This record gives sequence, C-alpha cells and structure tokens, in this order.
Amino acid sequence: MAARLNPLTSLTAAAAVLVITTAASSWAVSLTVAVGAVLLSAAAGIVRRVVLAAAAVVVPFWLSLLVIHGLFFPEGRTVLTSWGPARVTAEGLTYALEMGLRTAAFVLVLMVFSFSVRIPELVAALAARRVPPQVGYVLASTLLLAPLVAARLEKVRQAQESRGLVVGRGIGSRVAAIRLQMVPLVLGLVHDAGIRAQSLDARGFRSTGPRTSYTEVRDSAGQAAFRVFAILLAVAAVVWRIAESLPAGSLSAFPQFVGGA
Amino acid sequence: MIADRTAATTLLASVASFSYHGDPGPALRGVEVAASPGTLTAVVGGSGSGKSTLGRILGAWLLGGRDGTLAGSLQLEVAGHPEGSSPLRFAGAPDDPRIDPGAWARHVGYVPQDAASMLSAVRGTVEEELAFSLENRGVLRADMMLTVADIARRTGLDGLLRRDPATLSGGELRRLAVGCAVVDGPGVLILDEPLESLDQAGIRTVVELVHAELARGTAIVVLSQHADALTRAAERWLVLKDGQETAAGQPVRILEGGALAESGVVITSPEQHPDPTPAPPPVLTLPVAGAAVGATAARTQAALELSGVAFGFGGRTRNAPTDESLLLEDVDLQVMPGEIVAITGPNGAGKSTLLRLLNGLHRPLRGDVRVADESIAGVPTGQVARRLGLLFQHPHDQLFERTVLREVLFGLDRIFGTAAPERAKAALAAVGLGDSGNAHPHELPASGQRLLALATVLTREPSVLALDEPTVALDARGLERLTAAVSAAAGRGAAVVMVTHDLRFATTHAHRLLRLEGGRLRRL
Amino acid sequence: MSQQSLTLPPTDRKAVRRRRLLELLGAAAIAATFIFLVLTQPADIAGGLGSVSSLVALGGFLLGALLLIVGVLPTLPTSTVVLIPVALVLNIVLGQLMGTSGLPFYLDSIGTVLIAVLAGPAAGAATGALSSIVWSFFNPTVLPFAAGAALIGFLAGVAARYGLFRRFYLAPIAGFVTGIIAGVVSAPIAAFVFGGTSGAGTGAIVSAFRAMGDTLLAAITKQALISDPMDKAIVFAIAAMLVYALPRRTTFQFPFVRRFRVLAGKEPAARNS
Repeated sequence: MAARLNPLTSLTAAAAVLVITTAASSWAVSLTVAVGAVLLSAAAGIVRRVVLAAAAVVVPFWLSLLVIHGLFFPEGRTVLTSWGPARVTAEGLTYALEMGLRTAAFVLVLMVFSFSVRIPELVAALAARRVPPQVGYVLASTLLLAPLVAARLEKVRQAQESRGLVVGRGIGSRVAAIRLQMVPLVLGLVHDAGIRAQSLDARGFRSTGPRTSYTEVRDSAGQAAFRVFAILLAVAAVVWRIAESLPAGSLSAFPQFVGGA
Repeated sequence: MIADRTAATTLLASVASFSYHGDPGPALRGVEVAASPGTLTAVVGGSGSGKSTLGRILGAWLLGGRDGTLAGSLQLEVAGHPEGSSPLRFAGAPDDPRIDPGAWARHVGYVPQDAASMLSAVRGTVEEELAFSLENRGVLRADMMLTVADIARRTGLDGLLRRDPATLSGGELRRLAVGCAVVDGPGVLILDEPLESLDQAGIRTVVELVHAELARGTAIVVLSQHADALTRAAERWLVLKDGQETAAGQPVRILEGGALAESGVVITSPEQHPDPTPAPPPVLTLPVAGAAVGATAARTQAALELSGVAFGFGGRTRNAPTDESLLLEDVDLQVMPGEIVAITGPNGAGKSTLLRLLNGLHRPLRGDVRVADESIAGVPTGQVARRLGLLFQHPHDQLFERTVLREVLFGLDRIFGTAAPERAKAALAAVGLGDSGNAHPHELPASGQRLLALATVLTREPSVLALDEPTVALDARGLERLTAAVSAAAGRGAAVVMVTHDLRFATTHAHRLLRLEGGRLRRL
Repeated sequence: MSQQSLTLPPTDRKAVRRRRLLELLGAAAIAATFIFLVLTQPADIAGGLGSVSSLVALGGFLLGALLLIVGVLPTLPTSTVVLIPVALVLNIVLGQLMGTSGLPFYLDSIGTVLIAVLAGPAAGAATGALSSIVWSFFNPTVLPFAAGAALIGFLAGVAARYGLFRRFYLAPIAGFVTGIIAGVVSAPIAAFVFGGTSGAGTGAIVSAFRAMGDTLLAAITKQALISDPMDKAIVFAIAAMLVYALPRRTTFQFPFVRRFRVLAGKEPAARNS
C-alpha cells in the first residue's frame, strides 16, 4: 500500500506527524499516533517487523526513563513511596509516561516509513528534486552495504580462526581479537572504496548537468497537494505552540485541534 | 547523445613516467601504447609489472595530479572529430590538463580485474546498474530503456535484467561490468585480466564477447599475465616488467624470444581451453613421489580422513527450482601423509564448503572428520589450525598486520618459541618474499599477497595443508614457488588437499584427482 | 569532441561560495539552537515536556545538520564520498561488535573520526551528521544527535589538521577534549527531547545526579562529562591505530593527508600487538 506512494509523500507525512506530535506534547496525541502507526503497518503487512524493531529501541529506553524519572524527580511533590534517596513521585511517573509515549510514537512512525519505503525509489525521487546525487548515493550505499560488511566480517573471522586465532574469554583476549578483525575489515573496505570511486567518476557520477532516472517514481497532483497540506499543517502546529507558550497558556485546546486533522 | 554506433577511435598513449603519491619510485616508465579500431592489443606481464596501473591511466581511472604524478601524453583520434585530436600533454606540473573521467569514459572504457568494483553498488537490479551512467548524463528515460536493452543483447545479459547484481556468477558479473563500460559507447575498451577466476563456461562467454566487440570495430586492449588463447589472438603484444617495456611486437615473435620467460607471464598451450570431463590419468611420477611413498609406508594412518560426511546450509532461501537441502551428501576421503590430492568440480558444487569442513568452520551434519588421526568434533577451529592449515581464496581477509614479517610471525612464538623469527624468515624466503619483510602486506602485488598468505600457513608446519584455488592470481614465478612449497610440504610428510579450476596444474602436480559433483567425490 | 570536452572546466568560484555559505549557515543554526536552549531552559520540568524546547532542539539541530550535508557533500572528491557509507556502516557494525564484547563503551563514531582524519573537518562533520540521519532508519532515537555527531567529526578533522594524529599519545588527548565539548552540546537534546538519555546504562549516572537535586540538564551534562570524554579518547586512539594500519598508497590518495602532513612519516607511531 505504502509502496505505491511517492517516497517523498510518505516522508513528508512522517515528518509532519512527528512535528505535530512534538508540538502537541500530549500523551493522548502520542498514543493516538503510536496506535495509528501500528494500524498502518498492519494494513501494509509489515506490522511484525515494525513492532519488533521498534521494541528493540523503545524498551531499553523506557527502562532508562523509569530509572531516571520514576525513582528520582526532585521537582515531584506527590511522593508515593521512597527508599533512601529514591523517591517515587506521581509527577515523575507522569513525566516518564508522557516522554515514553512520545518517543514510542516517534520511533514507530519512522519505522513504518523505513520499512515501507523502497530505497531506489527514494533515491530517484531525491535526484528528481535536484538534491545533490552524493546524498542519495550515501543513503542507498549505506543501507545496501550493511549486510555486505557483516558477511565480510564473518569471512575475516573464519580466515583468522583458520590461522590459529583462538578467542579466549578474558576481556584482553576479546579486545585483541576485535583489533585483529577490524584491521583487515577496514583495510578491505577502504581499498574497495578507492576503486569504486574511480569507477563512479568514469561513469559520470560527478557530471554537473541535469540527471534523469531509470527507476520510475509514481507521483500525482493529489500527492503533491497532500504534501503541501501536510507541511502547512506542521508549520501551523509549530506556530500555534510557540504563540501558546508565550503567555504560558495551557495545552488543553491542542488535542482537539489535531484530532480533526 | 549516446552513440548507437561506436565511432572508430584510436588511442595513443605515451607514459614517460607515473608514480603514485607517497611511493618512492615510479610505477611505470617509458611505456607506449597504440590501440586502433578493430584490433586486439595485449599488455602482458607478471604480477606487479604495472599492467593495471597502465590500464587505469588509459581509462582515466588514475589521473595525473589527483592520484599521482604523470608525465607523458594521451591522445584520442575519433573518426569524424578531427579537431579534438591534439594530444593532452602532462609534465607533472600543477597546470597540467585535468581530464574529466566521465567525458573520457565515453571514448575509452576500462573494466577492472575485480568486476564487482565496476558496479555502483547502489542499484538493485542489473538493468538499473547498466543505466547508472546514462542517468548521470541525463539521457531521457525512453532512450535509456532502448540503450539498456541493446547493451543487454550485446553482452548476453537479456535474461538477467531483473536480477540483483550481487547474485550473479563470476562470468555474468564480468559481462555486466563490460556492459557498464560499453553502455557509454566507447571506441576503445580496456579489459584487465578478463578471464581471471572464471570457470570454463564463464571463460567461453567472455571470449565470445571480446570477439564480438572486435567485429564491431572497437579497439581492445587486454591486460593479462597469461599467454593464453585470448592474448595469443592479439595483433600486438607489449611485455611489461617492473613498470618498463621489455618487448613489443607480434606475439609469435615474442613467444620465440626470451623476454617472456623472465617477465613472469604464465605460458599455456595455444589450443582452446581443455575440456574438463575426459579424465587425465593420475600422475605419480612427481619430484615428491618418492618421499610420499616413503612416508606412506612409515605411517599407515591417514593424515586426513572424512567418512560419510554430509552437509547443507539449512533454510537457505535461494529460490532454485530443485530444493536440494544437502550440498554434500556422502563424502569419503582419505589422504595419506605426503600425498597431494586435487579436487575439481563445477561452480557451486561445494568445493570451498568441503575445505571449510576440514578445520571446523562448518560442522558436518553427519559423519566425521579426522585430522592427524584425531576427530575434530568439538575442537575449536583455532586449535584445529595447529594441525591443518587452510589457505583461503582472498588473501585480503587473511592478512592483518602492518608488515610482511609481522604477518608471518603472528602467533608463531606459541609454537616455536625463540626459534619463531628464524622460521618466519625461512618461510618468507621459501615463497620468494625474503626481501619484502618490511613492506605492507596490502602493498604487495596480488601474486605476492597470495604467496604471503601461503607462507603464514606453511611456517606452522601443519600435518594437513588445504588450499582453495591456490593458482588464482599467481604469475609464472608465483606458480613456481607454489609448486616448490607444496612439494616441500608433501616431502616432509604433510598431506595436501587443493581445490582448483586449473586442471593443468592439478594433473601435473597431484597424485590423485577427484571431482566433486552431486554432493559426492568421485575419482577422475 | 573537442579537447575541452575531455578536460574539466576551471572551478566555479560562485558555486564554491554558495556551498561555503550553506556550511556557515549550518554551523550558525547549530550554535544558535544551542545558545537558545541553554538560555531558555525551563526551570521546572514538572510543568510539562518542554515542548517548545523540543521543537527548537529538533528543528535547529536537524536543519543545521542538513545544511552541512548539502553544503559539504558536493565539494568532496568521490573517493571521500564513497568512503562515507563505509564509515557509517563501521559506526554501526563496530558499535555492535563492542556491544557483544561486554565493554562499557559505545564507540559509535570510529568511522566518523576515520573520515575526518583522512579527509578533513568538513568531511568529518558531514559524515557525523549523515551517520545519525541514516542510523535513524534503524534507531530513530539517534536522529536528534546529528549536530553533536557533526561536531565530533569536525573537531576530529581540526585535530588532524593541526598534527595531533602525528603522535600516537596526542590522539586520545584530542579525543578527550572533543568528548567534553560534544557532551555539553548533546546534553540539551538528551534533556529536552528524550527527558534523559537514549542509553539505558548511562541512565544510572543521570539518576545519581538527580538524586542530589540537580536540574535535569545539569545532571545530564555532568553524566555526559563523565562518559563522553573517555569514550572519545578511545575512539580517537582506535581511529589512529586504523589509519596507521592502512598502506601508505591508500592514505596518500587523500589530498588532506598530503597537504597537512596529517600522519607521521615512515615509521608508524602506533605500536600494539
């Protein structure tokens, strides 16, 4: 489903949602966005990957929040319980909950975007917008290189074990093993990169004229209008938030406003 | 704007000298090349003779100023463009002309030895990879589709356009790299070791492609360390040694003269590539045969023994039509001390996998592997390495020290104590690297890197020596040293198992020749 | 074909100036954001999440990072551009490798420092910023730290430019100082956007300072001053070790290394085995 969209449309949508969530700064909005992201990923059939990947990031983060704010929150007044210097306060828990939900929304939205976007299409869309080709190259190359590097590291490890490298249990032995594996890994990667650079130059990578794209990127007037609308909405949310903060007003009106969007 | 028809192009190059930044001396001196339309020129020489450097300068992959100091001239004569044919002169000065590599590549295409490094590595399919340079030059999409289809036909990639380049075989990858070069319509094509590490089928398709391009009027320069069927078809040879021209002229003349012998070029018989199926008889009359027999008589135990070994990569998600889960079904092998066994077989038969089973990098699903009369089940690879030395195909992964000597010394003191430095120096001398002890391993030429990796294995005196494609990238001198080292190891009673495509090497140096096919080993 | 068509035109001064302007704007955006955050830090976070601070932190730092990337990347030679993905993957893979070794450091900027040493401060800054942005595809919580990562790359390049990588013992000292500066700059992000720190391990240190009654920003800044300098000292030392392990022909292909004599002469200073 998301694959049929122009990657810039989904990128704009994700960015706008993030800005609005941050501006709203309300647990209800954050929760709505998080649930919405999960539902969207379910509709796209990527719910498992999105939720697993997001959990790997968010769960340790939540634990950290609980330790920091759940136990120590000097500003808190409503003390629920305390052990020595640690004081569990209602304010601390509320803060941790709000921050946790906002980050969860943040992570889920970006995960839905990264798992649904096709990298070649994103690169082509960026190129069509006259973003410097180097940006698209670095983006695509990094995402495609990661599995290759992992495979190469495995090869290096195999080659070194075959040369009699035994990795012991002590920290010293492990550090030595990491050093021995890093050197050939980095040497090999830097060497390949040097040759690849010469190849890219010969293939016109630095040409300054206009570029075209072999990959066809779908777009439509409707999507373009949606992108403009999303950006305006995000800007409006920021302006509203700043105006509101000047007289230190309350946030109560915002959730309804965003709820309609 | 893309040339449908290649313009007849002549490349005239005169490299007075070229030195890389930071190198003490020049890598090339006084080399002249002329490539005319429809002709095949071969630049032959041993490893480290400067062939690749020359090829890269011709193809503007190496630029004077950016990559090193170039003195000399480069000149292109393109039919129909007489005004641009004056030579570009380089003096190694800051105000030298700066070549635009992208513009140059439209006239001169260079294909590197490592075909994978030609690819942008940011395109998901073969067709997108082919279109990369067209995109950069702003070719309209409709024209791009036509050009890509045309190039795919020319290079025999028709059926592979939707494939991920990472899944291509060696021969397919080489043809894709050539396709990426010819898509710009160059009149001159420079191919660096186009047949290296290809199997017979791959060699055939690439040779056909070269002849088809020649017939189109392309000027082709092949860089190679082999006097094989492809280079023998050249009109003209240029022999390089230590960055200098030692002979030039017709191949027949040079083959008669003495310049080739000392250049390090591997000379193979002129007939087309031998068909691997008719089994050559096992050769037992070897320099080491006597030693081998003696050792076998003294110790009747096999140095290496595989019984009923089965192995497969469980859950491999290759969408091959035949769902064979086992790569090796039932492999039995016994290698006696002092015996040399060569294993051949088609690509993907599991030859390299078999070698990895020998030292425990892979563990058999069934059966047992015994090295020096001890099962290796449960023994970590790092410890099996005491008794079995495994040499990989790519030395880059295996080398990690800053100098050649430290590389060989690594871990040696735990085996030989204070005698380690002596041993290391002896091992380096044995592979002909005695003078290179202080060099950086990665600065050795390809042949030297493989020999260094061999030395690191040999110096530990393992009871079994396992070699993966030992002849690849070796020049004539390298082959001599490999042969001597393998014979010496067998002579002191080591069992040698090697996996190789090189049937000539296998038949002349192995006591037994085996073929791995359909998950089993059978005798040839 | 004419001879001109085969050679490069002389450099376009106007384009160079435009790129330089983007770089300066990026740096200015980062500096202004930092100053704003420190001056307006909410006295009492119990009142809410500090939404304006979050927006300013995210927006200002991200904008600065993007300007840096767009301004710097097109000026880099292809050999450096191609190395950046390698550096980004190194940041991630080596960080992961360290994780499995059970050591208490994150070491997620080795690739950035490597590029900075080989290709200079601008390339280092762009690599740091890109590292965070690309990494956020897998772990979105690193996105707001793009400016801090850019600063690390920039400072590493400056250190290399002035010869601090010529002596092996100077590299970790440069790293230590970089860690102090980078930690101070990143702390407001950790405080206002994430209400603490993105790492579970460093959370304990923040808690300790909070228990003593510090404001959140003060606690996080102090935590950063404890962990970051050590981490960066190690990262700089590792990067120096890797650079000296590279063959001379490889390091000398970078004009920055040749021009500023970044590395010591023939004999590598790094000694460890």
